[in-house]
Amino acid sequence: MTVKIWNFFPREALYECYQCARCTGSCPALEVAPALGPRETILKCLNLGHDEVVEDERLWVCCTCNVCEDRCPQKIPISDLLVALRNSAARRGNIPDKLEIAIELLAKTGRSMIVHQLDEMRAHHGLAPLLPVPIDEVREILKKTRLDDVVEF
Amino acid sequence: MKYAIYLGCAIPIKYPGFEAATRNVCERLGIDLVDLPFACCPPPTSLKMVHYDSWLALAALNLCMAEEAGLDLMTLCSGCVNTLKEANHTLKKSDSKRRKVNRILEEQNHHFKGNIEVTHVLDVLYQDSVIEKLIKEKVRELPLKVGCHYGCHYFRPPKVMYPGELSESESYVPVKMDHLLSIIGMEPTEYSRKFLCCGSPLGANSDQDAGYAIVKEKLRHIRERDIEALSVICPSCFEQFDMGQIVLSRKFKDLVKVPTFYLTQLIGLSLGMSPKEVGLDVHRVKSKKLLEGIGIS
Repeated sequence: MTVKIWNFFPREALYECYQCARCTGSCPALEVAPALGPRETILKCLNLGHDEVVEDERLWVCCTCNVCEDRCPQKIPISDLLVALRNSAARRGNIPDKLEIAIELLAKTGRSMIVHQLDEMRAHHGLAPLLPVPIDEVREILKKTRLDDVVEF
Repeated sequence: MKYAIYLGCAIPIKYPGFEAATRNVCERLGIDLVDLPFACCPPPTSLKMVHYDSWLALAALNLCMAEEAGLDLMTLCSGCVNTLKEANHTLKKSDSKRRKVNRILEEQNHHFKGNIEVTHVLDVLYQDSVIEKLIKEKVRELPLKVGCHYGCHYFRPPKVMYPGELSESESYVPVKMDHLLSIIGMEPTEYSRKFLCCGSPLGANSDQDAGYAIVKEKLRHIRERDIEALSVICPSCFEQFDMGQIVLSRKFKDLVKVPTFYLTQLIGLSLGMSPKEVGLDVHRVKSKKLLEGIGIS
């Protein structure tokens, strides 16, 4: 099923973009890696529709630092646009492996890190064992919001 | 003064020294902390990008736990504060999102009410009464040139982190960490590209080397100002600088490394804690020589 992002993000907000490229000029990811960059992302959304964009792997090359939105003279909510686009991309299977593994771990354990011989390490710093995560509640919430449509867990 | 301490995942599991330092500093400065069985925040860099609804609902679960204990929530990480502050703000503001999330939470006997605030340990320490106590309690100064790195998610986007406080055209540049460190005798030093990202999410989600290339760029500017120590308020930024410098120095032999500290480790040292007590023994870029130079061992 194709879900268009425009249910979640107001497309009209993009019409205010005049391609000044301040966003892309300040993008740290684009400085060091082949990112799509906010300016091109917006242009493609406008000219080609969003399908072209959500199938592009370069969409994920991003620091999520939100400088683009901060610098935008038109105050376009770029961070919201990028969240909507990536949610849509992930739903179609365009998601980096590393990220998929991280989400699976989160859904299985309720944490973003593997807990391994932890009590010993914490004791070294004079700390009590960590309180257990209410994992059943976490999994139920993630199931009910249908995370498993995107990442199986 | 009492808060629910939100540890997040990286600090209690990877860098428990930050937690030990924070607990100790808070105790000395009259801040009571309560532990609750929180789950992952979840990160603005991972789950939010993949599934917004799951991200919002899980964040709401954490907020409910603090609400049920009747406590404001103090985070230790720039990512956690970003997620929990945004989710709190969004759920307070949007009736439809709150109803949707509550339908799911109610099956688990929780209900989001929207009656607490989310804050970061930096903002907690920056309160007048805490600073007055710090001035009285500090036993030594740390005369070092320090560079602060705040972590993007601590202050961006301002519409999320400072809702209603800024006009549309205003941008926000944080200063609290610089001010706080000057109180313990450090010399906060400005450097070019101070508000450039550390590159951590880039490394975590796509390309590790590209992430470290950003660290290298930041370090160039940091060294230009002869900065001797870095201070951060986020475990991901910390890892990026601490491990990043080790990885970079394998490739670039002449790289001069700058020891990185978590804010409460530096405050802890000024309150008389030892380097080991604040967990400096597990840092990869060693600070032993630097601290011995100012009489701390």
